[in-house]
Amino acid sequence: MLEVRDIHFSYSEPLLKGVSFDVHQGELLAIVGPNGAGKSTLLKIILGMLRPASGNVTLEGESIAKMSRRKLARFIGYVPQATDVRFPLTAMEYVLQGRFAQGRILGFESDGDVEEVRRAMELTDSTDFACRLVSELSGGERQRVMLARALASRPRLLALDEPVANLDIAHQLKMFDLARRLTSTGEMGAIVVTHELNLAAEFATRVLMLKAGEVRAIGRPSEVMDEKTINDVFDADVLIDKNPVTGAPRITLLATAQEDCSLSRS
Amino acid sequence: MTARTDKIKTLRERVTSKRVVTTLIIMFALLILIAIISVATGSERIGFQTIVKIIAAKITGQPIDIAPEQQVIITDIRLPRVLMAIVVGAALSVAGAAYQALLRNPLADPYVLGVSTGAAVGAIAATIFAESISIGRPLAAFLGAVLTIATVILLGQSRRHAPTERLILAGIITNTFLSSVVIFLMTSASGLRLQSVFSWLIGDLGSNARLLPVVSVFIVLGIVIIYFNSRSLNLMMTGEEEALALGVEVRRVKAMVYIASSLITGAAVSVSGVIGFVGLVIPHAVRLSAGSDNRMVVPASALAGAIFLLIADTIARTVIAPRELHVGVVTAFVGAPVFVYLLRRAS
Repeated sequence: MLEVRDIHFSYSEPLLKGVSFDVHQGELLAIVGPNGAGKSTLLKIILGMLRPASGNVTLEGESIAKMSRRKLARFIGYVPQATDVRFPLTAMEYVLQGRFAQGRILGFESDGDVEEVRRAMELTDSTDFACRLVSELSGGERQRVMLARALASRPRLLALDEPVANLDIAHQLKMFDLARRLTSTGEMGAIVVTHELNLAAEFATRVLMLKAGEVRAIGRPSEVMDEKTINDVFDADVLIDKNPVTGAPRITLLATAQEDCSLSRS
Repeated sequence: MTARTDKIKTLRERVTSKRVVTTLIIMFALLILIAIISVATGSERIGFQTIVKIIAAKITGQPIDIAPEQQVIITDIRLPRVLMAIVVGAALSVAGAAYQALLRNPLADPYVLGVSTGAAVGAIAATIFAESISIGRPLAAFLGAVLTIATVILLGQSRRHAPTERLILAGIITNTFLSSVVIFLMTSASGLRLQSVFSWLIGDLGSNARLLPVVSVFIVLGIVIIYFNSRSLNLMMTGEEEALALGVEVRRVKAMVYIASSLITGAAVSVSGVIGFVGLVIPHAVRLSAGSDNRMVVPASALAGAIFLLIADTIARTVIAPRELHVGVVTAFVGAPVFVYLLRRAS
């Protein structure tokens, strides 16, 4: 469904050097990699916010460069890392924004739009706070509302940018579980940029490892998440075994001896 | 908690076309009522019936047997002034609402950002150097407004985001600088011209009736353009990237709305001088009672701003009669405390 082909991008230095991959319906692709690897830039290119220097992104065979903003918005539901709402706005009004690309540029939401919003809020279990202000929601509640807004347009592809960065462990688990359930029906695919390797190993159907603007590995978690690859990508010593309950790769960080740079004289 | 949630629920129900239309009709009726009261108010007492007759006669062109002095007071003095207060109040409020949405900052307003002063510089320059061209003043004011908002945005940008304080600071700096330019231009002007510039600058709604049709066209056009983009502005209020991802042509909307709000600010300033805080107080009050949806906020601010400035101007011309206060004094008395309140709440 989503085809990313040989994407190059640079600001002052090259940031992405020939990235290619596919995402299919029903798939949850986790993009992992160290800070500065180009994950967010890659996501912005897929969302049409940045134009690649070369390469092409196509959705169901159509190049996104030729799509209108509204058409692209109907295709991809985007969940940003955080939202900063400075005006009084209820959760429901916020989720209704997700219907913008379906309606007219100037107009009011129809009953059909409200129905879609209700459905999206039920899917994310956020109906209870529909009438509360977004600025007054907790981190977990807000994340669910953001996801509901992305779902309100019934997208084919979900793009989540570090969706659990601000969440406690229980909400992290819920968020990934929800993303997995949404994609497993086969109606949509999802891309999740994340730092949570264990959650990616558990919930993603495939993992893409990005380092210095290049794809170092892509495949099922059990195929690509080994000690050597992770050490190579993250420059961190890890121990990998199997989660005794689920069988997914389990990544444990190893504390290695750090060079002593304390000021105390020994 | 439940009580609070219920309160929010009733306060901020989803905005529907029916709700917008009902609200606007009520506000419009209120505006007409206040306008009639305002026309009737003044040192020369003229009854409501007489006013209605005079206005009807003026529209239909029929002669009537009412004292010509009264007719002149109504049609040439009070009515133009009332209409001027209405269009200027609407313009400044909508410009404020638009800047607030675009800059995602509840403190933004044409006065605080220095845009009004920028328009004033343009208008004064036109008055001094090209007085004979009647449309020159609004055009020069528009140019001044556009250049000022561009400068303020440039100065207020930080590498990552544009925090509230930085933008407001950029506005204050620009405003201070432009005020000096105004003083410089006024010292280089002389005599009669100086006096006319001076009385215009501090907000005189009575002295530019001949420009009323031109600026009304500009202002109505600008408000329509902003209203057309109001749904897009709703999305941009939560962030430009998010709006982009949700299908808004962010760059086009920004360009259109910046130009339109500068157009209406320039038009308003060119006939009324610098009137502060209208664009700050009114959209805030509207949001407080009707929520943040710009499809409601933009037209309701236009009407509420018209009502507000009309009342302010009526107070200004009657409270110390036979002398007149400048309307900017009245709006500042209301606006400055609101600004302080908003600033304290924002930080």
